Amino acid sequence: MVSTENPFKINVPDEKLELLKKKLELTTFSDELEGAGREYGVPLTDIRRLTARWRDGYEWRKHEALLNAELPQFTRDIEVDGFGTLNVHYVHKKSEVVDAIPLLFVHGWPGSFIEVRHILPLLTEASSDHPSFHVVALGLPGFGFSEAPTKKGFEIRQYAELANKLMLSLGYNEYVTQGGDWGYAITKLMAVNYGQKHSKAWHTNYPIATAPTLKDRPLAYLINLVSKLTPEEKAGLERTAWFFGLGHGYSAEQSTQPQTLGYALTDSPVGLLAWIYEKLVNWTDNYPWDDDEVLTWISIYWFSRAGPAASLRIYFEANKAKPNMFLTPLPSKIPAGHSYFPKEIFKFPKRWSNTPNLVFESDHDSGGHFAAHEKPGELVGDLRKMFGKGGPAFGVVPGKTGYA
Amino acid sequence: MTTAEIPFKIDIPDSKLSLLKQKLALTTFPDELEDAGREYGAPLADIQRLVARWRDGYDWRKHEAELNAELPQFMKDIEVEGFGTLAIHYVHKKSEVEDAIPLLFVHGWPGNFLEVRKILPLLTAASPDHPSFHVVAISMPGYGFSDGPTKKGFRFPQYAEVANKLMLALGYDQYVTQGGDLGFFVTRKIANMYGGKHSKAWHTNFPRLPNSSPPKLFSRPLAYLTHILTPYTEAEKAGLARTDWFEKLGRGYFMEQSTQPQTLGYGLTDSPAGLLAWIYEKLVNWSDDYLWDDDEVLTWVSTYWFSRAGPAASLRIYYEMVQGNERGHEDTSIPLGFSYFPKELFNVPKRWHKASNLVFESEHTAGGHFAAHEKPELLVNDLRAMFGKGGPAFGIVPGKAGYR
Repeated sequence: MVSTENPFKINVPDEKLELLKKKLELTTFSDELEGAGREYGVPLTDIRRLTARWRDGYEWRKHEALLNAELPQFTRDIEVDGFGTLNVHYVHKKSEVVDAIPLLFVHGWPGSFIEVRHILPLLTEASSDHPSFHVVALGLPGFGFSEAPTKKGFEIRQYAELANKLMLSLGYNEYVTQGGDWGYAITKLMAVNYGQKHSKAWHTNYPIATAPTLKDRPLAYLINLVSKLTPEEKAGLERTAWFFGLGHGYSAEQSTQPQTLGYALTDSPVGLLAWIYEKLVNWTDNYPWDDDEVLTWISIYWFSRAGPAASLRIYFEANKAKPNMFLTPLPSKIPAGHSYFPKEIFKFPKRWSNTPNLVFESDHDSGGHFAAHEKPGELVGDLRKMFGKGGPAFGVVPGKTGYA
Repeated sequence: MTTAEIPFKIDIPDSKLSLLKQKLALTTFPDELEDAGREYGAPLADIQRLVARWRDGYDWRKHEAELNAELPQFMKDIEVEGFGTLAIHYVHKKSEVEDAIPLLFVHGWPGNFLEVRKILPLLTAASPDHPSFHVVAISMPGYGFSDGPTKKGFRFPQYAEVANKLMLALGYDQYVTQGGDLGFFVTRKIANMYGGKHSKAWHTNFPRLPNSSPPKLFSRPLAYLTHILTPYTEAEKAGLARTDWFEKLGRGYFMEQSTQPQTLGYGLTDSPAGLLAWIYEKLVNWSDDYLWDDDEVLTWVSTYWFSRAGPAASLRIYYEMVQGNERGHEDTSIPLGFSYFPKELFNVPKRWHKASNLVFESEHTAGGHFAAHEKPELLVNDLRAMFGKGGPAFGIVPGKAGYR
């Protein structure tokens, strides 16, 4: 089952760098309304500044080298039923601790494998005080340096199948998962389709819930009726209302006409920059993005193997296969864990949660959607509590408790 | 009140033409799924073909000259309360018939003044058998060669104010209007603000009324009973299916444009291929199997690319209208006419439309959203029937019945 790994180093061809530079030099900027701020979208000053930096000053090769140094990367052919073989890019780092817990980390959009960067050393680090993990960070098909599917219909079920097969191919017959955004949806389905046999527990920083109804959850409904919202809960619901009211346009287009959108994102670096940067700012909790940090994140999309348009299709396929799948609880039997960050884009009163077997919950007073990137210490702290000695999911992977 | 007209000829600077060519030469295309068809958005083969044509073969100067020859264009400064002065571009053609009916034509998105091109000669033509019109086709602020507003909050009252002031400045103290898409909302606003005094009747090919949804038992019991007892015709079923398609799969652009237009605007301003795809998808999906000629598409898209305010400016009306909560019903009392085209995006059974001022209805078996462009004769025949001798709005503009 276990075959050798094929090491991979990011090495974007020179002509791609030159083309990017040529395009950046020809950038035509739009105007902006007076006093627009962030109200109409990404501010022009930010885009001008980032474009200028990307054009002159930002050194892709330096950041490419840093990524290659920090993140041990590999590629592997994985066969997906009905879709042939996809060459998948992933990060894989084993802890020194032999019996570390195998953990699959699954990113979302507009994320990528880069989101494992801050948590990787913390997860693998050995200590008698907390568990260690062997970490696999999957590059989703169509993202980063993974191949994209060429046929229609590659939806969450296929992503889950591929992710499970990757873990098995690496010798991790049993593992736990961590995911947010699409990573939430994929690991949720893995919990159902491969739960107990392979996936032993799942943790998310993107817990979804819906208001209980009298019909489906009468007790929760009644409790909800009489409970007053705390200020945090109110703020959370306002955040969710903001997201659905003002922050959902990208999803509506990506779920319905991804190809149409894809032309601009593929042809215009500044168009791609704006499309993603808006989320990096709006979805985080005042995270102090460094310009080069932003540009590295976006360059991964620009230089991605399948191009940025491919990354949009997950929205279309998931929406077509099962509209509202994010909102649908699934009958998983394995332990689940939630981390709640206040600036996540979906935020609901915890008592609405209907995740089966929820054994771990942790609240934070800062942090947003990109938890692994913004709050690596807090996220890893939660995983250590959930899976460590005395934790509710301790020893969930037999023989791999995470300690020496 | 009447001010002198300043003739205008489109004359795009050479530098803009060469920048477009440079960008087109550098176009990077996305991939596409096998057998995607139109399901995921504008097909790759179409966009590649159109980009290749735009780059080599399409002759902007030739089309520019044709537009200048066919469409008498002018510029006029219009002052808008709270927004300063905007330079407004418009087409103005008088009929030989001195007492022709003054008609203001208002385009929508992704339309513009070009949409008057085919109906202009028909509307102004003189004949004892039908009325004639003096036609003004305004380029709305942010479109064509009109200035865009520079401040936030430029909403339907402002668009209506500009249009009304333009008509008054041209000596048309009383006039009728024709509009679809955003032109529907603007002309409805004109009817609401200036109806009776200046606007004397309004006609639209984008029929919507507050009751343009299934009648409810308690509010309209008789209509409700008719609704549940009368089977839908094939045409009505098709119309409802069309409406459903638009609601579920066709509104992504609307969601983004009405929430984060600035973010979207960067890509559309910087990438001709991106702008082309964004608009072309609508030209195809919204029309009724209209046989677009490649150069016809490219001329349409070029007017966005070369627009005075840039393509990003054209998106902001969506933001202002939705965030300003302006789409809801508004009462109008002046005579109203509807033309129904089967492939319009919002197509509900005619019997759901009820308004005391709805004096004219005409149903067609072919045609879509861009009625003036796709079915110029049908649209003009409807206007002739509504405003001509024996028609329900005959003589609505005193002294300008449209005949010699």
